[in-house]
Amino acid sequence: MTVFEIAEGVRLVSIKTDKFKTSRISFTMATPLEGNISAKAILPYLLRRRCAEYPDFTAFNGKLDELYGAVVSSSVIKLGENLLLSINMTAVDDRFALNGDKVTDECVELLTKLVFEPIVVNEAFPDDIVEEEKRLLIEKLEAEQNDKRHYAFDRCEQIMFANEAYGKNRLGTVEEISALTGRDIYLQWLDLLKTAKMQLTMVGSSEPDMIKDILTEKFSKIERNPVVRETEFFAGFPKPNYVCETLPVKQGKLVMGFRAGMRNEDDNVYPMKVAVDIFGGGTYSKLFSVVREKMSLCYYCSASLFAQKGVVMIQSGIENANEEKAKSEILNQLKEVAEGNFSNEVFSSSIKSICDGRLSVNDIPESLCSWYTAQILRDELISPEEQVEKFKEVDKAQVIRAAKTIMLDTVYMLRGNGEGEEDGN
Amino acid sequence: MEIKEVRNERLDEMYYDISHPSGLKILVMPKSGYSGAYAVFMTKYGSIDTQIPQPDGSYKTIPEGTAHFLEHKLFESEDLDAFERFAKTGASANAYTSFDRTGYLFSCSGNFRQNLEILLDFVQHPYFTQQTVEKEQGIIGQEIMMYKDVPDWEIMFNLFRAMYHNHPLRTDIAGTCESIAEISADMLYDCYNSFYNLGNMVLAIAGNVSVDDVIEVADRVIDKNGDGGMIERKVFDEPKEIVAHYTEEKLSVSAPQFMLGFKENYPDPAQPTKRELAVDMILDIIASPSSQLYKSLLDKKLINTTFSYEYFTGFGYSAVLFGGESSDPKAVEAEIKAEVQKFRENGISEKEFNRTRKKLYGRMIMGLNDVDEIANNMAVSYFWNEDVFTDFEEYEKITVQYLNELLQEIMLDEFSVLSVILPLEE
Repeated sequence: MTVFEIAEGVRLVSIKTDKFKTSRISFTMATPLEGNISAKAILPYLLRRRCAEYPDFTAFNGKLDELYGAVVSSSVIKLGENLLLSINMTAVDDRFALNGDKVTDECVELLTKLVFEPIVVNEAFPDDIVEEEKRLLIEKLEAEQNDKRHYAFDRCEQIMFANEAYGKNRLGTVEEISALTGRDIYLQWLDLLKTAKMQLTMVGSSEPDMIKDILTEKFSKIERNPVVRETEFFAGFPKPNYVCETLPVKQGKLVMGFRAGMRNEDDNVYPMKVAVDIFGGGTYSKLFSVVREKMSLCYYCSASLFAQKGVVMIQSGIENANEEKAKSEILNQLKEVAEGNFSNEVFSSSIKSICDGRLSVNDIPESLCSWYTAQILRDELISPEEQVEKFKEVDKAQVIRAAKTIMLDTVYMLRGNGEGEEDGN
Repeated sequence: MEIKEVRNERLDEMYYDISHPSGLKILVMPKSGYSGAYAVFMTKYGSIDTQIPQPDGSYKTIPEGTAHFLEHKLFESEDLDAFERFAKTGASANAYTSFDRTGYLFSCSGNFRQNLEILLDFVQHPYFTQQTVEKEQGIIGQEIMMYKDVPDWEIMFNLFRAMYHNHPLRTDIAGTCESIAEISADMLYDCYNSFYNLGNMVLAIAGNVSVDDVIEVADRVIDKNGDGGMIERKVFDEPKEIVAHYTEEKLSVSAPQFMLGFKENYPDPAQPTKRELAVDMILDIIASPSSQLYKSLLDKKLINTTFSYEYFTGFGYSAVLFGGESSDPKAVEAEIKAEVQKFRENGISEKEFNRTRKKLYGRMIMGLNDVDEIANNMAVSYFWNEDVFTDFEEYEKITVQYLNELLQEIMLDEFSVLSVILPLEE
């Protein structure tokens, strides 16, 4: 892995390998989860479908077909109280191109055109494009509630972080999106070129020289003043909050939000990760082996640590009638972990499983690329192998101490009222 | 034991094709530079196999969802269950049941031989009791309920129920709460003994592995044989006609969802790869984001980025499917049908053909990157009497004339079904 500092808060991370048949390139901007969130969130979608050279969406996709079906995708994710806006490209490696085509170089160039050379008319993005992208983003936001697991998770976050930036949806709101103009988004784009922290991550067999030159040239004309948000970590003891809502669905969804007692994303993070994994990670975990296997209460019941915010979230799909039983058993199992009631076998299974998962990142270009993209806010990059070493140093006592600091904050129950018509056939 | 080396020079790949004396087919693709490995032990037994072949040539009916139920239960044993054994190695183990197969798998970054031993051992040694079967009915009951709230899942099965009169595609892979209540331990043994004989199975592995290690573990751990051979699947008597052109359901969704399907009746239950690839190309030409149809549907605000299409095929079924979200599913249906008709009349051009051919080539290359994808493809190809490189050979044979001929026989209006999920009324 090689890192090049291109400009203030702009770096190029190149992982050169010829073991894959494809190359993967991601361009990511990190910006605070505040201000006009929708204007930020719409950008990677608006930019990825066209540029000044290929102003027509259909012609742009035809170009991707010609590049052996290269794939362009975009994403918006929340990392603590910052947003990561990404445009990604996957293309076949040059070794497999026919007639000596230079696919990777063309893709790299195309990607930089998407980011730096959009269609601009009178210092705004054109209305027809903006209106279409607004509709698509609103529909995306609304469709996310069709997946009730996703919906219940979002609701729990909204309630738990009602007074924190983290409680905001990563795409903003329907009202915010509706109000956007081509001028707003254009100004947001100009602002991000100056203020967002940026990283171009590249996995594949190509040399990074060309992209380095392009980026250096682009940023030589931009005055940089990067701004990121310091994520607020909860201190003290939460007062548990309970909210129950009803929707016409067949299965109830239980989401429980806990504060992990971390003061920053690195605070005790390795023992904490192990504690959460023993609580509700793999098949050896408390939640899988007791709540699912022993009590047959659910098909899924799992815990995840969001270290960038210092929270632990539990998700499960259950029958309404089993809510109390499930809740009290989940809390009881957390207590078991905090009291050290787990075997040495389970402890070592957890470490092995976490380490195995880290190392498997190396075999998938997309995973390897996201691994480093997710570290955009960090000064020092850490490899999967280096993290494995950190996990191997964790001992059982540290895990018990970590589990003791996990405290319940919010319980959200989405009850199904069993409606939803059966089909006519 | 016969070991063949199968190579593809252009892709710079090779795999070992091993006919193990036990009757099991073993396929191994070593990948240099990779740190981990993935293995899948698969049986040609899925949710559509609702009939067990009997010695006299007849078939016995079993409850819907049995293949999936068996998959859940196979992880158990008299002492340590398979998950507990994998937990000691750090591997990530799982299993899945689809319409026409069940696969047991693990991926790992270390301890490969030990993991392979566990996989081969637990799949060969079932342990079902009435008590453990009853416990599982609760877990799978919740799995079935969960899917009932997933619109993509409901819309597909509603479509199949309107498309097929008899084919078991009509039923959810996991069955129904009623059908799984009928499952007993004896029944699971019955199914196991028929479908899990090694002649009806394949082991496929890709990643950082040596073929000698695989053979050493297989020789040591395999203690059964494949006397039963490959099972003759029951061919369902399915009329050409569909059941209904339209079906709808109301669920808690933000906007109407649709799936438009065109039923096909290919005379052989297994159709040639060349035809399958050609249909994929036709769909790309007609409906990909670089097509006029896509642009027109987007301009008319009839679709969004959830719009997708696929050629859905398996044993005894094939259908072209389009899906997505739309304020007006019937208008989308009309637009798609009109565009297909236009292509039938005007034909696909050389230019469109060449562009899509390049895309297909690229996408096939991309499919050989991830070890899980490679191993699953090797296993499934084997069940279709092919190998993982067949696509690369067959796609070369496709011509624009062939696509234009094929266009006349697929996506016919009389076999179309539109399945819609509407939002609940407030």
